[in-house]
Amino acid sequence: MIEIKNLHKSYKMGSNSLHVLKGINFSVKEGELVAIMGSSGSGKSTLLNILGMLDVANEGEYHLDGVPIKDLNETKAAKYRNKFLGFVFQSFNLINYKSAMENVALPLYYQKVGRKERQDKALKYLDQVGLKEWATHLPSELSGGQKQRVAIARAMAAEPKVLLADEPTGALDSKTSYEVMDLIQKINDEGNTILVVTHEEDIAQMCKRIVHLKDGVIVEDKKVKQVRASQYV
Amino acid sequence: MFDRDIWQEIFHSIKNNKLRTFLTGFSVGWGIFILVMLLASVNGMQNGFYSQFNDDATNSIFIRPGNTSKAYAGFEAERRIQLKNDDIEYIKRSFPNDYEHISARFFKNTSARYKSETGSYSVQAVHPDHQVIEKTIVTHGRYINNNDLATSAKVAVIGRKVAQDLFKEEDAIGKFVEFNGLPFRVVGIFIDEGDDNAERGIYAPVTTYQRIYGNTENINQILLTYNSSYDLTKALEFSGRLENILKRRLKIAPEDQSGLRIWNYAEAFSDISSFTSVLSAIGIVVGILILVAGIVGIGNIMVFIIKERTKEIGVRKALGAEPAQIIKLVLLESVFITALSGFIGLLIATVLLSLIGPTIESPAFTNPSVSFSVVVTATIILIVAGVIAGLIPAMKAANIKPIVALRDK
Repeated sequence: MIEIKNLHKSYKMGSNSLHVLKGINFSVKEGELVAIMGSSGSGKSTLLNILGMLDVANEGEYHLDGVPIKDLNETKAAKYRNKFLGFVFQSFNLINYKSAMENVALPLYYQKVGRKERQDKALKYLDQVGLKEWATHLPSELSGGQKQRVAIARAMAAEPKVLLADEPTGALDSKTSYEVMDLIQKINDEGNTILVVTHEEDIAQMCKRIVHLKDGVIVEDKKVKQVRASQYV
Repeated sequence: MFDRDIWQEIFHSIKNNKLRTFLTGFSVGWGIFILVMLLASVNGMQNGFYSQFNDDATNSIFIRPGNTSKAYAGFEAERRIQLKNDDIEYIKRSFPNDYEHISARFFKNTSARYKSETGSYSVQAVHPDHQVIEKTIVTHGRYINNNDLATSAKVAVIGRKVAQDLFKEEDAIGKFVEFNGLPFRVVGIFIDEGDDNAERGIYAPVTTYQRIYGNTENINQILLTYNSSYDLTKALEFSGRLENILKRRLKIAPEDQSGLRIWNYAEAFSDISSFTSVLSAIGIVVGILILVAGIVGIGNIMVFIIKERTKEIGVRKALGAEPAQIIKLVLLESVFITALSGFIGLLIATVLLSLIGPTIESPAFTNPSVSFSVVVTATIILIVAGVIAGLIPAMKAANIKPIVALRDK
């Protein structure tokens, strides 16, 4: 599903440049649930941004579902993001004046899906995250955990190849975190490929594989026995 | 354009920024309001000027004799110039293609009597063509005709006020009224839109009055209209020729300004037209400058809204919004605010004008109004203005990098 080879990324900070990713080689197969771990500054978010086509690497190759991701202009990147990727952010990033359902329907809007179908699909995904009754509520009327579930429904609505979650539980208490992880696990059980960036060990243990990043290189890449979040819920 | 979601978003962003949207919208509405009002005022001035002249044909030339100021051709200065019937015939012969209508004017005051009612009025003895030159509107009966002229008939066309004074409720047509003791048959009643005073006048055939006053050939003035296909230069050239030839004929020094006065409406008209076109140009420039302030205001609010929504736009981009879609959203919103507030300004201005415009009727300012074309132009200006106002913010929005926008700090 994801193939990256010798990925380098550096940021210019004034006169000196900061080398964030120093040759990452990494691949993810379909249906995997991968945790990317590392302390802050390890490059994990940068890696996720590059995987999410929100940022571009200086060097290296990146294939997503067999498609080489390079030389993207804004329009093309937008199309690929829409087609391949679903995003879940730490701060949810719901649009505050749109109801839960409208938020979920938004990626479908950019896929130019008709209004009626969009609403049906949005409701379906809201139902999957258990928030069907909250469809008409604004994000401000939802709790943090509910917001993140709406965001996950939104990410799933476009039926992406890969779900990218950047600290999805970073802004949640532990109980809600487990609820969210339970949801992510269930989505993964259906065969979806998911990458989770986190710095919390317990969250990482709920994935099937943990990739440790340190100072821009992968220091550890191991399969783990998945801890089911449902037992904590 | 008719995408429900886009409109929903536009309304959301307007609703969230009600006061700001109102304030900036107000500046555009105000700009359009002032633009329309300025143009209407210029139009009102124009109407005012034209109404000053509208009781005369706009291609008319008046010839009035005076006293010479210079000795010439053996005559002393201060000679009184007298026009005669021959002069009219002479003009007709000399300028067969240049004039359209021509009439003499022979003034006399008269005291008129009908039954017990009397009044003192001025009589203008004229040719039938005078009706066209003066734009006299006959409401009852008829004007002087050629038959009256040939037979020196004692007939009269009286003004509305004269008819009111003398005949009260009675129908004046066909009745006989005495002018200085002589019976004249009333053949018509006229009104004058230009001023009420003119309706205290009486028209009679010039031949009749000349016969009454000692079989004279004298006339006081000559009025004519020039060929209406003439433009300003040709009209002025014609009145120049007319002046030269008449001065030669009447033995007035060519440079003598007071012996013969030729008044050409074309001149006055060209002055007014250029004056009002300068005024409308000033109106348009000032109006547009005010509008520019409004446009900058809209641009400003849009930049602000974009800045506020940076994160949202970043999210949209992450979800797959293309730059073109973002641009469309911002432009449409800007055009919508501009057009809506502009239309409100336009509407208020037009309603105001249609309410108070017709009531304004002073000599220099009559019925200020705007034409349909001004309204259409203003609309186009508004939409273009909206696009211009939205352009920079839209580009800014399209260039938002999702990664920067989504950074949590």
